[in-house]
Amino acid sequence: MSAQVRRICTVVEDLVSELGSPVTTPVRRVAVAAVITNPWAGRGIVDSLDEEIADVAPELAHQLTARLVDSLGGVDQVQAFGKAAIVGQGGEIEHAGALIHTPYFGNLLRELTEAESIIVFSDDRADAGASLTVPMWHKMHAATRSHYQTIAVRVADAPRADEIVVVAAGSTGGRPNARIGDRSSDPVVRLADLPMDRFTNETLESVR
Amino acid sequence: MNVRKINTYVDEVLTEGGRPVDPPARSAVVVAVIENPWAGQGFVEDLAPGIDATASDLGKLLADRVVEALGGPVEAFGKAAIVGLDGEIEHGSALIHTLKFGNHFRSAAEATTLLPGVEKRAGVGTVFDIPLKHVTDATIRSHHQTIEVRVADAPHADEILVGLAAAQQGRPQARLAPLSSEL
Repeated sequence: MSAQVRRICTVVEDLVSELGSPVTTPVRRVAVAAVITNPWAGRGIVDSLDEEIADVAPELAHQLTARLVDSLGGVDQVQAFGKAAIVGQGGEIEHAGALIHTPYFGNLLRELTEAESIIVFSDDRADAGASLTVPMWHKMHAATRSHYQTIAVRVADAPRADEIVVVAAGSTGGRPNARIGDRSSDPVVRLADLPMDRFTNETLESVR
Repeated sequence: MNVRKINTYVDEVLTEGGRPVDPPARSAVVVAVIENPWAGQGFVEDLAPGIDATASDLGKLLADRVVEALGGPVEAFGKAAIVGLDGEIEHGSALIHTLKFGNHFRSAAEATTLLPGVEKRAGVGTVFDIPLKHVTDATIRSHHQTIEVRVADAPHADEILVGLAAAQQGRPQARLAPLSSEL
């Protein structure tokens, strides 16, 4: 069985200014969402999800990533990426995870974006019209702080109870006004070195 | 015109009512989130200078983008203005209910009819529906349709969200009798 796709929604976000001033680095963020029939809908708890994953996930990854790369302006423009799934109320969160967390999806998304990082994600079980915030990070070096960012995705009439919304997301850069340093420039921060009068005893007790 | 962000939405419908839609029904929306040109000025009696400074540039920007995003002939179209909580609905209407705004889209879409529109005042993240009608004959029933839009972080209280919508076809699986059959 291949993916039963009902609709595909693409959102492209061009960030131009922030608090009234032009941003330092204009950025384009894109998310592509496919609404598909949950391959395990109406079957109760299915023990092995493997067969449907192998059938459905690669095709989905290919379809979503092709649109993603195209909307971002080509594979060279892709700097950050992420993925997500929203399963309808008739399914399990495990169904959402099944379609995005295996190599059948992730490896294709990585290959088609010429990436090396593991892929950051979000998932949810929700009614139609739910908005999901999809995280993204750098496609080569996940710890690159400037590239921690998100995009909101919402399909008005999905997921129905027996559907899953599967999302691939990407960005042409980091946050447009990124200025919170990186691991390489961070000072060493330890609780023991901070002035103790900044914390209440109660807080410290509960931490210990 | 101070633009904060421009969002583009492309929607492809591959099945409807359980049946394939072939070719897939394609529609597009482009919204610009801009600073309300009259923000912080109290009640402005004459909106014309603000309209002249903004409406045409905005109409051109959105028309070019929505036609490109659709990627094919425009058969149906519509528009929207969502005013942030500190503005007047009149501010949104000012920007979209002028030929200076709509003529760019009409010309790009080879359209002759008026653009159906929605205008309201709402908080950040509001959901709104843009109505669309046929570009040369507003009575063509198969092309009456709406597209639902939401921008998660707009409009701020001092912003206006202005959008254009386009569809390559009427409703997927449209099968209602035409208006003429009832006259």
